[in-house]
Amino acid sequence: MFTIFSANQRRLLPLIVAAFAASATLPAGTAFAEPKQGGSLTSFSTGYRTLNPGVQSGAATGAPGSQIFAGLVTVEKGYEIAPYLAKSWSVSDDQLTVTFDLVEDARFHDGVAITGEDVKFSLETVKANHPFGRSMFGSVESIDVPEPHKVVLNLSQPVPGLMLSLQPLLMPIMPKHIYDDGQDMKKHPRNMEDVVGSGPFKVEENIPAERLTLVRNEDFFIADRPYLDRIAYPIVKDPLTRVLMLEKGEIAYAPFSGIRPNDAKRLENVDGVNMTTDGYDAIGYIHYLELNLRDKPFSDRNVREALAHAIDTDFLSKVIFGGRTVPGTGPLHTGNLFYSADTPHYDADLDKAASMLDEAGYPKGENGERFSFTLDIPSWAPQAHVPMAEYIQAQMAKLDIKVELRRAPDFGTWVKRISSWDYEATMNGSFNYPDPVIGMHRHFDCDNIKNVIWSNTQGYCDPEMDKMLDAAAIETDFEARKKIYADIQAKAQQDLAMIYMPQDFSATVYQDGIGNLPDSPFGGLAPLTNVYLED
Amino acid sequence: MVKSAPVVKSVLRKIASILLLLLAVLVLNFVLIYAAPGDPVEALVGEMGGATPELIAELRATYGLDRPLWQQIGVYLGNVVQGDLGHSLYYDQPVTTLIASRIGPTLLLITTALFSAIIVGTILGVFSAQRRNSTLSHFVTVLSLAGFSAPVFWIGIMLILLLSVSFPIFPISGMTSSDGTTSTLGYAMDVAHHLVLPALTLGLIYLAFYSRLARTSMIEVLEADYIRTARAKGLSRRSVVYKHALRNAILPIVTFAGLQFGQVISGAVLVETVFAWPGLGTLAFDSILRRDTPTLLGILFFSSLMVVVMNLLTDLLYRRIDPRIKTS
Repeated sequence: MFTIFSANQRRLLPLIVAAFAASATLPAGTAFAEPKQGGSLTSFSTGYRTLNPGVQSGAATGAPGSQIFAGLVTVEKGYEIAPYLAKSWSVSDDQLTVTFDLVEDARFHDGVAITGEDVKFSLETVKANHPFGRSMFGSVESIDVPEPHKVVLNLSQPVPGLMLSLQPLLMPIMPKHIYDDGQDMKKHPRNMEDVVGSGPFKVEENIPAERLTLVRNEDFFIADRPYLDRIAYPIVKDPLTRVLMLEKGEIAYAPFSGIRPNDAKRLENVDGVNMTTDGYDAIGYIHYLELNLRDKPFSDRNVREALAHAIDTDFLSKVIFGGRTVPGTGPLHTGNLFYSADTPHYDADLDKAASMLDEAGYPKGENGERFSFTLDIPSWAPQAHVPMAEYIQAQMAKLDIKVELRRAPDFGTWVKRISSWDYEATMNGSFNYPDPVIGMHRHFDCDNIKNVIWSNTQGYCDPEMDKMLDAAAIETDFEARKKIYADIQAKAQQDLAMIYMPQDFSATVYQDGIGNLPDSPFGGLAPLTNVYLED
Repeated sequence: MVKSAPVVKSVLRKIASILLLLLAVLVLNFVLIYAAPGDPVEALVGEMGGATPELIAELRATYGLDRPLWQQIGVYLGNVVQGDLGHSLYYDQPVTTLIASRIGPTLLLITTALFSAIIVGTILGVFSAQRRNSTLSHFVTVLSLAGFSAPVFWIGIMLILLLSVSFPIFPISGMTSSDGTTSTLGYAMDVAHHLVLPALTLGLIYLAFYSRLARTSMIEVLEADYIRTARAKGLSRRSVVYKHALRNAILPIVTFAGLQFGQVISGAVLVETVFAWPGLGTLAFDSILRRDTPTLLGILFFSSLMVVVMNLLTDLLYRRIDPRIKTS
């Protein structure tokens, strides 16, 4: 049933450790009981504007989107790539042609057969409309469909992270017969109404103000799956209300629960309620202090190093976040495949910081200050950014640097300031997503200094870094690529393009009695095909 | 006919001033939102997780945000006159449709809270006014003080802790359960079950207000000369309190009820957010955070419309209750 992978194929697809018999039969999770069919699982949503992850990134769309739509592959534990709608694939020797054989009896929720044309349409749609479309599939030059269930991707250069992008979260298989009507895909009405998907669950009810309800797709192409009859996503925006619902069990499964470390302690003490920080390796949510490198004093690397010596991220993670996070050591999350701990580290040392500032030409002035700056705090992760900013303000005061904190009243205000480069310093964070080409290159590439949020807004540009990024983007040998990324991480930390904070405290809260919770590094953003409810 | 002419004239004059007022509200809202830093496209792009400069320019052009302010206002006013409040940038739906789909839950919540508060508050106020130093009277004073000072979201969370977590009687949030009941009665019961806590939260604040208002108003009236006269005539205590005093004391309550009903949305924002009630309040809150300008403008306009219409109705109702106003 599956092609055997040649040495070359393994080089192109280093993440494939083995081809699984079928993702559905994987033993996963910690459940001991025999999986059984039936039951309703209540999760939650903070609200979404579309259910189609092909045109929108993020967890709000991705969590239900990965249930409604299937992808060519799934990403399993340890980043292993497993067949899904593609039952097998092969790669040419020059690594520029990838051929997929599709499952033959798969159908969309309206009963229409899923063919290679749908795959071609979906990939072209994602490439043109998804925020990461170009970085994921920019090198896909053309797509051929020689047979109804065969798809050939022709690449202009090797794409090492290709397979990771072919899962439902990033490349959902969409029905061409529904969407290919000339309308703008980002605003297509069928992204929200009468959604026709290809995945294990169908949309039963979509009331954006109240709830989303998904029901079992009886005609799913994997036999006897999914186990659950329905998944409900009530819309709960208020974080405090959410914690109470988790405590009371009104929400049974909450990936991206948005709880604070304090809530975690409280929830852990509740009988029948569990918490895990597993399932966030791939998304790789990191936080950092972003300094505008265009102007003094932050254009001076020594000033940045002084700041790095003053900000003790170890203290932040251990004390302020209760030991539930780990300090960031560079631009990649510790759970990333290419993570390297071997980067320059700046010990907490206020005296050293002070003397570095003196040398850099910022002695204490007549007003008792070295200099002052405004630190922006975005509105979207206050539980992480507010404590960090307050800590930084206190540390800077010890160095006689005055920091004024400016909390953005809403998302738009903050985005405007940062994307128009009209700021001095801001707390910020982003996702690795997980291939560095998608989530990391954007912050360092000289070509990506743009008036766009989460681009290279700080204005970092280094020819040597650019060269390494270009090399890593097309290196297909896993070990060689890992080596380049280790150098990149060391260089980023050496140049102090950003000052890394503790990683995000991302947690999933779930009740007893749920079996086979996804052990994919994508956690709750992976398909819940095998999840079942115990008696 | 001759007699009603001044009334008609004054009503017409009111309507004219209302239209002017609404126009001013529209322009002012537009300019204020325009003046705030950041625009909807930036918020949208941020929520998408980033984008290219080309896409940003394309979106700005699609939404007409690349045009000068006066042109944008002109287009907007022209559309509003034709009953078109624009298109939500976030939901990609006509704003009127969006408001229509959210107004029901809000009205249900507000009317339940407001009417229960008015009835209970008036009764409490009337009783406590008669015995000013009684325990009940002090209770009303404390209740109104607490109701006024405690933040509404705090009351909401405390009620959830008490009546959903410690004593799990009511659901924590939402308007319906997800178990898919289909019968009308079952649905109504389900909604009613979910309604209790948010209505109680909002109602407690209104109750504080109305019990205090009724108490003060009643005390004032009970000291009036005509009450003394009524008592001197030998009328029963019941008759004095309910026929002579209450009828006069209720005037300010009617006024405030009318005014408050107009402000439905502002009152509902926090309660709806805490309880995830799918009404206009949550929509307003989300629209602010998402910079969904057309939706926000639409809600603000609708909200102003409610205020002026309710003021007009209160005014007319007042004329019925208080004959003195007709002649003045």
